[in-house]
Amino acid sequence: MISVSDLLVDNRLPANYYASEVYVRGDLEMGLLESRRGDRLLALPETLIQAIYAGLAKETGQASRLVLFNCGKWWGKNFYNRFRDEVSAYYDTSFTDMPMADFLQALKQCWITYGLGKFDLDQTYHSRGFLVIKTWNSPFARLAPEGETPACFLEAGILASVFSQLSGRELHCVQTSCESLGADCNQFVVGLSKRLEPAEALIEKRLDHESIMPRLCA
Amino acid sequence: MQFLIDGIFDEAENRYLKPEELRDLGQYVSSLTARMSTYRAVRDHEVAMVQKVADQLELEMPGVAIATVERSIKNAMLSLRYCAMAMLSQNESLVEKQLLPWLKESVQLHNTAEVDAVVFSLLKQQLRLSLNAQQMAMFEPFLALVEVTPALEEDLLTIAGMF
Repeated sequence: MISVSDLLVDNRLPANYYASEVYVRGDLEMGLLESRRGDRLLALPETLIQAIYAGLAKETGQASRLVLFNCGKWWGKNFYNRFRDEVSAYYDTSFTDMPMADFLQALKQCWITYGLGKFDLDQTYHSRGFLVIKTWNSPFARLAPEGETPACFLEAGILASVFSQLSGRELHCVQTSCESLGADCNQFVVGLSKRLEPAEALIEKRLDHESIMPRLCA
Repeated sequence: MQFLIDGIFDEAENRYLKPEELRDLGQYVSSLTARMSTYRAVRDHEVAMVQKVADQLELEMPGVAIATVERSIKNAMLSLRYCAMAMLSQNESLVEKQLLPWLKESVQLHNTAEVDAVVFSLLKQQLRLSLNAQQMAMFEPFLALVEVTPALEEDLLTIAGMF
């Protein structure tokens, strides 16, 4: 026998916390963007993203990948903390007790509302210790300078950081396909650093995602 | 939030409202009392209606896992609340933009489509009993926006167990 009133927590039914219309709030007078919880949000104009790419390439050359990756890791750490606080307060549950499906749904909607594009998990290789993340419509891929290898080092850093904190283990992330190279989506592989080591060389050799994964799992 | 009448008050210095804009405004204002009474009826009957749906569901689909039933009941209540608010503000986009994308994904992730379909038809029956004909006519178009989509299998695993 189900009691409907017991299903309500304080008469609430938590659902879509990150709905764009509700999550992003602006204060015209102060010229500020805020989240629904009152945290400051920062809007990045396309020009700034392009300038970051161009400036880094000029100042640091090849090392700009590492700089972007580390910036992503740093931002990802703060993103994770904020996401964890928001979601656990909204759902009134500790983050670790949250069902994977609810967590994933919140993260996907959050990704969209933050303007990072569409996000999905591919669990094909999870039994081999790799998690594949697919994203679509990434602004960082769209504005990336022309190149021959995947360009979303900032997002790779973010994902490495987020999934490291989630799993409590130090994880690495490499990108194996990129919209900036004409791929249908961006694919990122998350796993232990040591096991992902061979991937970097395979990407340099221009192998695609489908060719890289079996070699990583071998 | 995008109301039907949103934006028509913005050009006072340029022109008076067109007849069709005044008509839309009049239609919204004159129906507002009825909207509020429908809203109150849905609010006041919510728990009792949904409880009856849950009881009937147990009779009609006895073998369904409790977690699925609970999820489906929550989906129904959530839809009821969004539809009530959308009806009150005459704002379909509230359902279409804020609820539907999220609900569709939730139905897929939790594989509740089959049970949701039964729950929704039971809920409609209960609404017909609790609302009068005029209230039902006002509420039904919003409920019709919430369609249940076919489900996909998805493993419910935990991140911590993966690495």
